[in-house]
Amino acid sequence: MLKDKGQVTFEDKWPNMRPIVLKLLKQEPVTQIEWQDLFGAVHSVCLWDERGPYKLRDALQQDIMMYIKQAQARVLAQREDQALLKAYIAEWGKFFTQCNYLPTPFRQLENSINNISKVTSSSTSNSQKKNNNNNIEDSLVRKLMLDSWNQSIFMDIKQRLQDSAMKLVQAERNGESFDSQLVIGVRESYVNLCSNPVDKLQIYRDNFEAAYMQATEEFYKLKANEHLLTNGVQSYMKYADQRLKEEEARAHRYLEPGSGSVAALTQCCEKVLIGEHLPTLLAESAPLIKAGETEKLQLMFRLLDRVPEGVTPILRDLEAHIVSAGLADMVASADIITTDSEKYVERLLDLFKTFSSLVKDAFMDDPRFLTARDKAYKCVVNDTTVFKLELPSSALIRGSKGTAPESKCPELLANYCDMLLRKTPLSKRLTSEQIESRLRDVLLVLKYIENKDVFMRYHKAHLTRRLILDSSADSEKEEDMVEWLREVGMPADYVNKLARMFQDIKVSEDLNTQFRGETTRHDAINIKILNAGAWARGSERVTVSLPLELEDYIPEVEEFYKKKHSGRKLQWYHHMSNGTITFANSVGRFDLDVTTFQMAVLFAWNQRPLEKISYENARLATELPDPELRRTLWSLVAFPKLKRQLLCYEPAVQNPKDFAENTTFWVNQEFALIKNGKPQRRGKINLIGRLQLSTERSQLEDNHSIVQLRILRTQEAIIKILKMRKRITNTALQSELVEILKNMFLPSKKMIKEQLEWLIEHKYMRRDDEDINTFIYMA
Amino acid sequence: MSGDDCDALDRGDSDGQKSDKMFTLKKWNAVAMWSWDVECDTCAICRVQVMDACLRCQGESKKDSYGKQDCVVVWGECNHSFHFCCMSLWVKQNNRCPLCQQEWSIQRMGK
Ligand SMILES: [Zn+2]
Ligand SMILES: [Zn+2]
Ligand SMILES: [Zn+2]
Repeated sequence: MLKDKGQVTFEDKWPNMRPIVLKLLKQEPVTQIEWQDLFGAVHSVCLWDERGPYKLRDALQQDIMMYIKQAQARVLAQREDQALLKAYIAEWGKFFTQCNYLPTPFRQLENSINNISKVTSSSTSNSQKKNNNNNIEDSLVRKLMLDSWNQSIFMDIKQRLQDSAMKLVQAERNGESFDSQLVIGVRESYVNLCSNPVDKLQIYRDNFEAAYMQATEEFYKLKANEHLLTNGVQSYMKYADQRLKEEEARAHRYLEPGSGSVAALTQCCEKVLIGEHLPTLLAESAPLIKAGETEKLQLMFRLLDRVPEGVTPILRDLEAHIVSAGLADMVASADIITTDSEKYVERLLDLFKTFSSLVKDAFMDDPRFLTARDKAYKCVVNDTTVFKLELPSSALIRGSKGTAPESKCPELLANYCDMLLRKTPLSKRLTSEQIESRLRDVLLVLKYIENKDVFMRYHKAHLTRRLILDSSADSEKEEDMVEWLREVGMPADYVNKLARMFQDIKVSEDLNTQFRGETTRHDAINIKILNAGAWARGSERVTVSLPLELEDYIPEVEEFYKKKHSGRKLQWYHHMSNGTITFANSVGRFDLDVTTFQMAVLFAWNQRPLEKISYENARLATELPDPELRRTLWSLVAFPKLKRQLLCYEPAVQNPKDFAENTTFWVNQEFALIKNGKPQRRGKINLIGRLQLSTERSQLEDNHSIVQLRILRTQEAIIKILKMRKRITNTALQSELVEILKNMFLPSKKMIKEQLEWLIEHKYMRRDDEDINTFIYMA
Repeated sequence: MSGDDCDALDRGDSDGQKSDKMFTLKKWNAVAMWSWDVECDTCAICRVQVMDACLRCQGESKKDSYGKQDCVVVWGECNHSFHFCCMSLWVKQNNRCPLCQQEWSIQRMGK
């Protein structure tokens, strides 16, 4: 054996090895013995011939190159695109299969070359690592094969390959069919060809993907313009939508999965088909919205949502449409809605439903569009063009120099709510479920109102009347409503007060039962003793000289109450109290529901039934303040529902302000209720009208106090924020302030500024010396 | 609208309460408001009006707080008044009236 050493050379072995190698390259069958001989020969050459491995590698490369040249000639012999692709794919397929076989016998060669290079160069950690695993993918011979293919055949014909493949794709776009496997085969060869271990997709991406993208872009650049010109925008949108779907499906077929190519191609199509025609497409949005073309809008939304900033202009168009259509509708029906709160709320709700279904049908309730709807609807609800609530601008109000007019919506909404909750023709007509759903509608609109404090004020006044006059249609629904108001975020102290009012009514009922249980003399009286804090904070009382029949009860009630409670004081609110009296005249007997003031006036005639009483004497008898007396007398001489009035007077006047001291009043002895044109001998009539909750004067001040309350709330909130933050910038303060106050009202920039100045002036806070837009809390 | 006044009803003359007066009272619904008989409307401890529940009572279980009328007022010998809840907590720290510094002793409780 030793003697043989040095005698085994590459030159000896190669002539026997070569035919086997060539057979393998050509995919011809190789016997097991040949296969094993090849292994052995490689082993010997590497072991005994010092230069063997290199010589072996070079010889191998030569044969591989030769084989590739032959294959290339076979491929290039094809003139026609499809045939060329078919031939290439076939050749490549064979060669690629061999890339997995041929390296196996040469593993020893790889080890040797790697070991040598390890000795000669000390910095080949990469190949060292590869040496240890026998992964075929990392094989040197395989790399040799792939690189050779890449450098010769691929470099020479890749342009033709790509062009042919793209031509096929193009043909498919134009509706011709062909064997898609051809394009897929080319792509696969690009992917498999790459021997770069860091980026295995490099060849594919730099060549195939780039060519595919470019071809697509060029195709649609041309087609898009063509279609727009000949068929118009609306048809184009359908075309673009369909093409985008098609191209996405095509990309899944022809581009490498998991490479990110499909997303890149889609983006490329979106750019050419949508992005580059954005102004043309967007010009359609406003007219389509106006015409309510939901299907076309759906399509437009789907398309434009694919490109950045595509949807923003549509949002603006929608907003503008809702505001202008909403306001136009309100202005058009101004005559009805300004006088009829039911009609007003119905109009508002109709608008809301219209806009909401537009958003649903056209924009699939997309949150961005819902927000735009809300923003625009808020403008409609809070608009002041049709009618407005004038808030006073008075220098008397601390720190305020006047306010802008506000929407009357909250007042009308509260009126509507009252119509639903009170015994009215409306509430009688509706079922319980209908009333509930309409109350829910009220809450929905309320959500959009900026000056919710105005709603609260009116709602509470209405509730007060309903509870005192016992005129609720359904007391369960009343209490439900309180909880619903809580649920929609009305301020807790407000809702608690409403809840407290119901509690008071129940407590009063018990108290009344006990009081009437004591003696039968109390059968005619019904007492309500209520918590002043919940019912009547700040409201003014009116003095009146009660008729004796009523006056007698007062000390008895007070005595009784004192036994039940201690530490409490009582104040009588005669402007709220009321009752029923019987009126007897020559025609008949009538039951009249009246206010205590009306009672006081009418009872003045009991001593002198047929006399005329002057305005002056009526005042002396009742001791009512002038505005209250005028109002009460007017309700008895000119009650809207009556054909024959209870009192007569002279001289005639147009309104209560014109009563003079010597205007005289007398009881109408011919008074009767009229039914079917005939006077009745019996009957009952309610003369109370709208129950007065405060004096005439303080009613005028009502709106004034809304403003005052806002100022107070704003100051409280500013102090609260500063206490917590210690120092805060103007911008941050403004946004926190709006957050705190938004369930009551929207503080105007002007008001905030005025209150900040006031608080600074009064040393609750100061501006930072360094930065005048930062505020600092002063304890 | 027809020529009707509202609610004209025919009822037998069963009332029987013939009276010589032109107007007679049948029913009176009298309304009065009660409030704590205090000199100062605001509780100096929690800064809430004494007619409202104190801060603590408002805070805990908002929904139930109106069901109970627990949050009453207490008067000291000095005649100063506070929420009873607020004062009970205060005296644990300091047995003097927060307003006049006199030793705190209860004169009466609201009911
Ligand atoms: Zn307190
Ligand atoms: Zn309490
Ligand atoms: Zn004291």
